[in-house]
Amino acid sequence: MKKIEEETRGLEEVLCPIGLSLTNLKAELRAIWECNIKEWKIELAYPISFIRQSIQPLIVLLPILVYGIALIGGRFSETLMQLVGTGDVITYTFTGYMIMGFIGTAVWAMGFSIRKEQWYGTLESIYVTPTSRLSLILGMALHSVVHQSIGTAFEFAVIYAVFGLVLKIEGILPALVIFALMMLALGGFGIFISSLALIFKEGWIISEGFHSILMLLSPVAYPLTVLPNIAQQASTLFPTAPALVGMRSFLIENYTPEILGNIFLHLLVLDAAWILFGILIFYLTDSYVRKRGTLGKY
Amino acid sequence: MIKRPQEISSLKANFFVIWSEVVKNMKFLMAYPVIFVFWTIFPFFWFIPFIFQGEAIVGGLQSASFAEIAGTPEYIPFVIIGAILNGYVLTSLYGVGESIRREAYRGTLDYLLSSPCNKAFILIGKAVSESINSTVYAIIQLVVCIIFFGIELTLGVIIPIILILILMILGLYGIALMLAALSLRFKQAHDLGHTLENVFLIFAPVRYPLQSLPFWAQIIGKLLPLTYALIAVRSLMLLKQDFPAVYEQIFLLFVIDVIAIFFGFYLFNWMEKRTRKSGAISQY
Repeated sequence: MKKIEEETRGLEEVLCPIGLSLTNLKAELRAIWECNIKEWKIELAYPISFIRQSIQPLIVLLPILVYGIALIGGRFSETLMQLVGTGDVITYTFTGYMIMGFIGTAVWAMGFSIRKEQWYGTLESIYVTPTSRLSLILGMALHSVVHQSIGTAFEFAVIYAVFGLVLKIEGILPALVIFALMMLALGGFGIFISSLALIFKEGWIISEGFHSILMLLSPVAYPLTVLPNIAQQASTLFPTAPALVGMRSFLIENYTPEILGNIFLHLLVLDAAWILFGILIFYLTDSYVRKRGTLGKY
Repeated sequence: MIKRPQEISSLKANFFVIWSEVVKNMKFLMAYPVIFVFWTIFPFFWFIPFIFQGEAIVGGLQSASFAEIAGTPEYIPFVIIGAILNGYVLTSLYGVGESIRREAYRGTLDYLLSSPCNKAFILIGKAVSESINSTVYAIIQLVVCIIFFGIELTLGVIIPIILILILMILGLYGIALMLAALSLRFKQAHDLGHTLENVFLIFAPVRYPLQSLPFWAQIIGKLLPLTYALIAVRSLMLLKQDFPAVYEQIFLLFVIDVIAIFFGFYLFNWMEKRTRKSGAISQY
């Protein structure tokens, strides 16, 4: 006892804010910010990684555009026109992929964040800090959203310069509102995936698996109407389908939405559902994994 | 009785290195069965969106514009063959290229590189095990596509296709060796692998014929082994051409293989010596 007293003499006691208070909120926001800064420092230590990820959205989009052009021998499709009121394959596909990049952000940045910390050997260390686990994940997600935004801006500039895009400028503001609503739901979805990665360990498979399923069920390069009925119904459970349809309605001239009803309301319901579900599953898996003592295993 | 290393012939020793790597990687795969399930199922999720995209903009399963440049109006088998062969690119680039990085993460890279064997054979071992895995995945995918997507495969073209696949895998080994060499120096093999994967997706005729690309991009495409393998396999499977019709593609593929493997070995050995001297082997 005396030894402990000697060892701790001179150390300052730190009181961590807890519960629902403004001080705690500030502390958690600080943790999110610091996590974001940490991710940036790691990334900028590998410049190749930064450059690759910044041009990735463009490089992913190019083969899809060339494929579309090869199929119809130009950029206008009569069939697409009949389905959604616009035949411009380039603008239609670009708007889809521009938004889909952020799905990757949610599922990869958040789902893979836990696994990355395991690899670095820092997961247990950050877990014993008096910070909310969600703040750690949200910090990594923040870094990824900013990164994706840089990539999307570059993608937009190149596609606009090379192909030209026909977008309605006045639709940008409502489209951004829809985008924000989609990101909230995707945040919940990302938290859900990161909790799965806590149990199943191979986080990249969980992330890639859900990413692939979401890509299939979302009207990125094709309208929902070409999907089988069951897939169309399943797509309404995820925020990407209503968000893509809603954003295109505001951004593309003559676009005919393939989802009926109030997109904003639909997204608000999905936001609440996915955030609550994500947080609930995360706390359940978190306590399960810690009880079993398998947190650092892989 | 175990023989001392100097008593084992170099051929046998190198074979043993390759065999041990294959066994080790198989053990890893068995430890994570979800990886096997993933590579068997998820490639379908990657090419099915292209079928839906085709339906949405063409309105059917055949495209006249596509036929003008690809020689066949059926874009679905075209895309499926591209996806199956591209699977080899993914596994060889990530499997071999990133294997060095994975060893560094696991803390075993120092031990591997300080062992008294030619390090390139360790990589060949990794490549062989990745090829075995890729072939199992490709066979499963092909069977599913024959059943559900109407892909036709006649017995007569199986042997030529196997030959083309072996040549393509050899070329990819060469590229993977270069990637592994670069990952020793620049560490971020995952990013290098991703970049190369995208180069293959854009410039090789995975989803569209080479003629769809601008002239300068076609030249880049013609430097990739996957391009010749895809043209040859599609000529045999889709266009029903005879084997002599693809001699030229096979010869060019062979030439690229020789260059890629020779340069890959040279670069890896050079980079390994350089990295050992700098003492930065296990840094990441």
